[in-house]
Amino acid sequence: MEAPTSSRRQFLSAIGNLASATWVTMHWPQIALAAEHAGHGDAAGAPTGISTLTAAEATEIDAIAAQIVPGGITREATVINFIDNALGSFWSGQLPAFREGLAGFNAAHAAQGGTGPFSAATPEQQVAFLHTVDTTPFFMAVRRLTVLGLIALPKYGGNKDYLGWGLLGVENRHFWTAPFGYYDVDYPGFMPYPGTNPITA
Amino acid sequence: MPTTYRTSDTVDFIVVGSGSAGGIMARELAQAGHSVVVMEQGPRLDAHEFEHDELKYRQLSGITNNPATSPQTFRRNENEVAVQRASNSLTYARVVGGSSTHFNANFWRLHEIDFHERSVWGAIEGADLVDWPITYAELEPYYCKVEWEVGVSGLAGASPFASFHSRPYPMPHLPIKSSGVLLEKGARALGLHPFPSPMAINSTVYRGRPACVQCGLCGGFACEVKAKNSSVWTVIPEAEATGNCEVRSESYVFRIGVNDAGRATGVHYFDKDRVEHFQNARAVVVCANGSETPRLLLNSATPAHPDGLANSSGAVGRYLMFNKGGGAAARFEHPLNEYKGANVTMMLHDWYNADPARGFYGGGGFTARSGGPLTWGQSVPEGTPTWGQGFKEYLESYTYWMNLAGHGTSLARETNRIDLDPELKDAWGIPAMRVTYTDHPDDLKHAQFMIDRAVEIMDAAGAVQIDPGHVDLATGGVHLLGTCRMGDDPTRSVIDKYHRTHDVRNLFLCDGSSLPTSTRGQPTHTIEALAFRAAHHINEFAARNEI
Repeated sequence: MEAPTSSRRQFLSAIGNLASATWVTMHWPQIALAAEHAGHGDAAGAPTGISTLTAAEATEIDAIAAQIVPGGITREATVINFIDNALGSFWSGQLPAFREGLAGFNAAHAAQGGTGPFSAATPEQQVAFLHTVDTTPFFMAVRRLTVLGLIALPKYGGNKDYLGWGLLGVENRHFWTAPFGYYDVDYPGFMPYPGTNPITA
Repeated sequence: MPTTYRTSDTVDFIVVGSGSAGGIMARELAQAGHSVVVMEQGPRLDAHEFEHDELKYRQLSGITNNPATSPQTFRRNENEVAVQRASNSLTYARVVGGSSTHFNANFWRLHEIDFHERSVWGAIEGADLVDWPITYAELEPYYCKVEWEVGVSGLAGASPFASFHSRPYPMPHLPIKSSGVLLEKGARALGLHPFPSPMAINSTVYRGRPACVQCGLCGGFACEVKAKNSSVWTVIPEAEATGNCEVRSESYVFRIGVNDAGRATGVHYFDKDRVEHFQNARAVVVCANGSETPRLLLNSATPAHPDGLANSSGAVGRYLMFNKGGGAAARFEHPLNEYKGANVTMMLHDWYNADPARGFYGGGGFTARSGGPLTWGQSVPEGTPTWGQGFKEYLESYTYWMNLAGHGTSLARETNRIDLDPELKDAWGIPAMRVTYTDHPDDLKHAQFMIDRAVEIMDAAGAVQIDPGHVDLATGGVHLLGTCRMGDDPTRSVIDKYHRTHDVRNLFLCDGSSLPTSTRGQPTHTIEALAFRAAHHINEFAARNEI
């Protein structure tokens, strides 16, 4: 039986596994299509092509993501489009709790003396504030979605031009031949142990 | 033109499940001239329909049982109320080919010791360790059959600890990748004996299918070039080629029909439109995996079988086992690029046997093992920042890491089980499975032992950073074993050594549920060998009109 839990607790548990979303296989074409139709964020301005989050919500999430993996790559890779797509499709069940978490994030930011939204704070101020909230379920959710948005296939809205894979050092190819890495370049082959008698066809 | 049967036809055999065992069973029965209908819950997908989509396949139940439609509940013991968790405890593929579609394809044979550990160890408190009713020698010809008729690459006899091989593998081992080289370096430095891993992946063109293209995404993914030897690419097409076999996909069997004489008469199932049907058959072979097989028997209860079909022993669903293990991740000075190449190329069996000197029961093997970038990127080693510049630098180190994964034993416990949740139902209105599981204390000790050994090997290999695993209580697994155990005693087991249920003469079971002990991980080779063996005997029974 399903335990009676608050939406917040469900949200917390859902962070651990996205498979808890009310997603089913048959929805995949629509998810991919939605991502395809989403626009791409403008690295210099507010995110564009957002269809689930409001512009103001997307701006804040985008700013948080940009500190989770700093250096501008989250914006170049349009991570916010992945997050928007996720919250509109396979993670839609978590959208109300996600919004609740964002409201709490904004309220905490204001309570700590923020004179404007988190996104308008200086990078140093943003980092300092995030250190005070980085164990909250909301932050962990944004963190997880940021990582997914960097590495999941571009068809879901993020990892634009495979920039996220580039960050990890992953080349966008799907067939390889040995050697694969530094340590197998000069591998001399397997040497049998004394007393064994390997047999080959 | 594919063979089709009408539900009103009484076919010779229904095979429930199209995975590792079901595919072999279907081929062997069909090639013997029997009419066969294979029932598969999931859809049938061709190779080009699979993609390298880690989000879909490893995060969102792309081809596995989905908790939204096939939910489960979990509890630690019978005193707790089972609850639905964020993810299902027991995972299996729901597609034609079953879990052989998305497995890593790391194929170990068991060793002779696996079949008689109870005789060696005696009783273990809190567990029900038993001998198998068969021996390694009885299964050995069927291991060969798997290796040659399904396809396994490797180097037979390379491990000093392996039990005898009467034939070599038909294909040489896959190229050793950097993680394999490093495992070999570290292990040999410690006086251990790593060896190239046997894999159900083609290293050469074999039986009309290509060699591996080393794409790097095996575990959790279906092979897009048919080089991984999943039943959907191997034995199922051969079964269909006989003209005697229909594979009926998106057909969810939820109850086995039984007549007043106590014989199975066929299966009740839902088609893709959730319309209920009944397929008549002379015999039923359930190969639905170690979770769905007991669930189906329990959901087939009748007034004559109030505790479930073939459950006079009460053992249906009990003795659930996974493969407990532990290992370590390690970072090296130069890139390994583990996202390239088959997931496993080198392994180790030095600690396969349990050793009383350790003070606990448990044994297993290690594999050098890679994982996809998306899964890897979501967690960090202890002490690594979870966000900010330090986290970014960690992400940039992806190609420098490898895993040394330990795969070990889980002791059978009567209280670890699958039964039916009293309230929760799946999307078809069928009672969902309830999982009750607590690791045996020896399993936890052995997991820590494996972690410690993995750290030593990676250190000897020259790792610049090691991230040891943690021993956690299991909440589920993908190797679903023991829940309809094989045995000679009908009061303590569900099937006999020929996989016939003790209670129902024309009902057979063959999958992970048949295993009396957990093995040491990578049970699929053994499940397939058992399927070949069971099919051989079922065909003999049929020929003698003994079904």
